[in-house]
Amino acid sequence: MSTIKALVVDDSKIMRSQVKRALDQLMIAEFEYEDAMDGQDALEKFNDDIEILFVDWNMPKMTGVEFARAIRDKGYDKIPIIMVTAEKSMGKVDKALTEGGANEYITKPFTADKMLKAVSRYIDDKGQIIKEEEEQEEKKSFFSSILKS
Amino acid sequence: MITEELKKAVHIPEQIVEIVKESVINTFESISGEAPVYSDYAEPDGPLNGMIGNIAVFNPDITFSLMLAIPKETAVSLSEVFIGMELPFESDDMGDLIGEIANILAGDVAANIEQVGFRGQSSLPTATRGSDLTLFMPNKPPTVKMKFDSANGEFLLTMAMSESR
Repeated sequence: MSTIKALVVDDSKIMRSQVKRALDQLMIAEFEYEDAMDGQDALEKFNDDIEILFVDWNMPKMTGVEFARAIRDKGYDKIPIIMVTAEKSMGKVDKALTEGGANEYITKPFTADKMLKAVSRYIDDKGQIIKEEEEQEEKKSFFSSILKS
Repeated sequence: MITEELKKAVHIPEQIVEIVKESVINTFESISGEAPVYSDYAEPDGPLNGMIGNIAVFNPDITFSLMLAIPKETAVSLSEVFIGMELPFESDDMGDLIGEIANILAGDVAANIEQVGFRGQSSLPTATRGSDLTLFMPNKPPTVKMKFDSANGEFLLTMAMSESR
């Protein structure tokens, strides 16, 4: 199994640990983590090796949505961005997905199920990131049918 | 519309109080799996030996300050259900955890009061640890105190409403 490089962005160390713990518990891939404490720190740590992003919203210096937008504006339009946040109003969800260009939205506190639902479409059976949108859609349908049954 | 009403209000409207109460119950239930029970707050404030998680939900006109007062034993117990292990009360991680709980609560409050027309956003949380802590608000804004009993111990929420500055 190859390793997926994930950048976990949250100003709370506890929440960064929770995200990593949940991902490790899923056992669908092996992850190698880089931590960032806010959007600005994340922009500095982001590089071409990073394959998936887990991003909080409410952080000092630069919010998660601003960071997500900055990544999309740099031309990284295929890297999955998973918002993991306490913000749960529909307006905020919509803003993260449209303005920020995030792919998924998980509200805190989250369960392993929520995390699985959010990331499963982006990871193939070999534990590698799926980059093509069409394949992501196929994986999403497959997982939806499993989770329903 | 509701902002104009709130500016003139002498007390925090009951509708808002109920929404916040529900948010507290939902937040702690989602963390621990068991809903805390609201109990009427009758006795005066005693000094707290524990943590206070502070956060605000605000718009340009009105600020709701939320202060979660969590006794030491409750905080330690909550750390076990939240992260699967007891955190030392004196650790930085404990402050981080209580701030995050306040953050999750504020997210729920912001989403729910939006449904009655108050569109606000959350501030960043802060956490204070100490003994003999007493909450004191010099300008005496409209304030509501709520007490909750949970499987992890009791805790208090003080909510104050003031004009944003």
